[in-house]
Amino acid sequence: MTVLTRPRTEPERVAREPVRKKRQDRAAYLFLLPWLIGIVFTVGPFAVSLYLAFTDYNLLTPPRWSGLDNVREMIGDATLHQSLQVTFIYTLVSVPLSLAAALAVAMVLHKGVRGLSIYRSVYYLPSLLGSSVAIVMLWRYLFGYQGVVNNFLGWFGIQGPGWTSDPHFALSTLILLHVWTFGAPMVIFLAGLKQIPVMYYEAAAMDGASPWRQFRSVTLPLLSPIIFFNLVQSMIASFQTFTQGYVMSGGTGGPAESTLFSNLYLYQKGFGELDMGYASSMAWLLLMIIAGFTAVNFLAARYWVFYEN
Amino acid sequence: MNTVNRRGALKLAGLAGLAATLPACGRGFGGKSGGGNGAVELNMVWWGDSARAGKTQKALELFQSAHPDIKVRTEYQDSSPYKDKLVTRFAAGDPPDLMAMRVDSLREYAGRGALLDLAQHGDKLDLSGLTDAARALGVVGQQNFGVPSGLNTVGYVVDKALTDKYGVKIPDGNTWSWADLAAFAKQVTQASGGKVYGTNFEVWTIANLIVWTRQSGEDFYTADGKLGATVATVTNWFATVQKMRAERGFPPAGFIDPNGGASPAQSYLAKKSIASQIIPTNNFLNYNKVCGGQLQLLRMPGETQGTRRGQSIDTPALWSVAAKSKHPQETLTLLNFLVNDVSGAKAAGTTRGVPASQAVAKAIAPDLEPDDQRATTYLTDLQNEKLPPSYSYPIGASKLTNILKSISTEVEFGRKTPAAAATQFVTEATKALTA
Repeated sequence: MTVLTRPRTEPERVAREPVRKKRQDRAAYLFLLPWLIGIVFTVGPFAVSLYLAFTDYNLLTPPRWSGLDNVREMIGDATLHQSLQVTFIYTLVSVPLSLAAALAVAMVLHKGVRGLSIYRSVYYLPSLLGSSVAIVMLWRYLFGYQGVVNNFLGWFGIQGPGWTSDPHFALSTLILLHVWTFGAPMVIFLAGLKQIPVMYYEAAAMDGASPWRQFRSVTLPLLSPIIFFNLVQSMIASFQTFTQGYVMSGGTGGPAESTLFSNLYLYQKGFGELDMGYASSMAWLLLMIIAGFTAVNFLAARYWVFYEN
Repeated sequence: MNTVNRRGALKLAGLAGLAATLPACGRGFGGKSGGGNGAVELNMVWWGDSARAGKTQKALELFQSAHPDIKVRTEYQDSSPYKDKLVTRFAAGDPPDLMAMRVDSLREYAGRGALLDLAQHGDKLDLSGLTDAARALGVVGQQNFGVPSGLNTVGYVVDKALTDKYGVKIPDGNTWSWADLAAFAKQVTQASGGKVYGTNFEVWTIANLIVWTRQSGEDFYTADGKLGATVATVTNWFATVQKMRAERGFPPAGFIDPNGGASPAQSYLAKKSIASQIIPTNNFLNYNKVCGGQLQLLRMPGETQGTRRGQSIDTPALWSVAAKSKHPQETLTLLNFLVNDVSGAKAAGTTRGVPASQAVAKAIAPDLEPDDQRATTYLTDLQNEKLPPSYSYPIGASKLTNILKSISTEVEFGRKTPAAAATQFVTEATKALTA
């Protein structure tokens, strides 16, 4: 964040560049320090998990090397394919929706609303709570068969379905929950919007550009690095969704596997069915999928992300 | 320069997120044995709620005052996190000494050498008070890996307050059939104008399907650890429920949130949305408390019409000892206390069911609350009847609940016919038990 909010225009920058850069580097490493220290503790588990991915390991007896057995099993595992489908649909639908919502609200707040900090906090709050157990429980009560939503629909003579217990609707309900937690990207968008010099808008207005045109030609390009950052972050987070599916379905991924996220299935395999070797294989498959999507994101970014200067 | 920095930062941030994708190994609760003063410290773990914890603690205090050289450190949580922590502790080589074990996980642990064979320790552990059926719950072949922490069975409860209110007669609980249940349920729903559904039970709970299978003359799990339920039997199970659903005796699809919380207070019976359901009998007291005290405890439907009896003597959990326990002798002393000590059993009550030892059960019966006495009588009566034998859950059995749950939901929403669902269940269950 420090990098993003750094003042943009500095007349004497050229002269002071080397000193400044050194100081910045130091600050960057300082901020990275917790992560660098963390690596020490994660490299071990990484390596073990990679080893386990090629073993048959039930947690009670030592792992047995099984070569590519787990990979072969994954190819034919219909439940795994179902869980990947759930995860893809969830990510590809909820990420764009939540980013659009975040940007829209950020735009409104940026226009200058009285009590901005209150609104900002109010909209930010759900993203702190969204993946908490309590909120998912609350969500289940709201959207249950006899919940608040269906009571409301009842006033109009509509009998709504069990939004969380009906396999046709359960995933959509979780997507809605995800979209509702747009606060984190919104705050980042707000910060980004503040960075766009007002003079660009003034110049555009003078040229007779409509607000929509200003949005497309000034806001979007200048905000694109921020959008890109939010996109990458949200996608990675969304691929790893676990709590929502776990709490909503009591750990089963139900109704009828409709909320069986990949991570939830991985957990079921590892801890429920005591097949930690297979679960480790899945973890690496997920890592590769997420890395793949992230790589595509970075490649595509060349064509739409605009860096100033 | 500037741009590179900024881009680099974004990239780095992205990669940092990526690095967090691998699952972190769960950290179990640590366990150290060997307390101060030369006393041996045992670690005992189980699942349950705080009410059960209070009663268990009282029993353990009695044990510790009788055995000042043994300290017992307990840990408990809900059943599903319990399962995860237990296996993590075994994986970490730090198993608890005494643990509650699910019947459907027993062979998964025992078959991998994780549990102590209690049959080798008859001198320390007296199981003579148990009936053969009760003892069989923990037996695998010639070995014994668990002692029932209490005995229970599944029974049918009907809320008499509701049936009286709507003027519906409760069928004779000893002789009623599944058709009687359907007729009764339909009547309640009609009489209440749809405000209360006549009945509901968990179609996906294996214990319920086991009763149905046994009544049909089949063993759900056979003596050699295979699936004995046939497609025809499972088809009838789904079809019977779907017929009740169509007649509105059973709630419509999606009405019941299968994960809405398992405690009696959260049940649809307590909310008065349904008039009857299947419960584990050790929970009868708790259900009756939250439902207003008018519950009737009936046998399962179809017990007299079926090919043979369906109900069986069951246990909510077994007590097992870790093969790697550092203090097996002291642990067996504790287990023997839990099984055979009357004052301990009195303190612990019947939250885990009727005491497995018949002598202990008889001794504590007069001091039980009336509702617990009813549940106890229900079970003791059943114990004295001739029931077909049942066999321990084979390896892989713990996977069947999820399989049945997923498939029965498909039937509930009409996405699969009972026959197609039954075929799929038998195929997947057979595979799960052989894998």
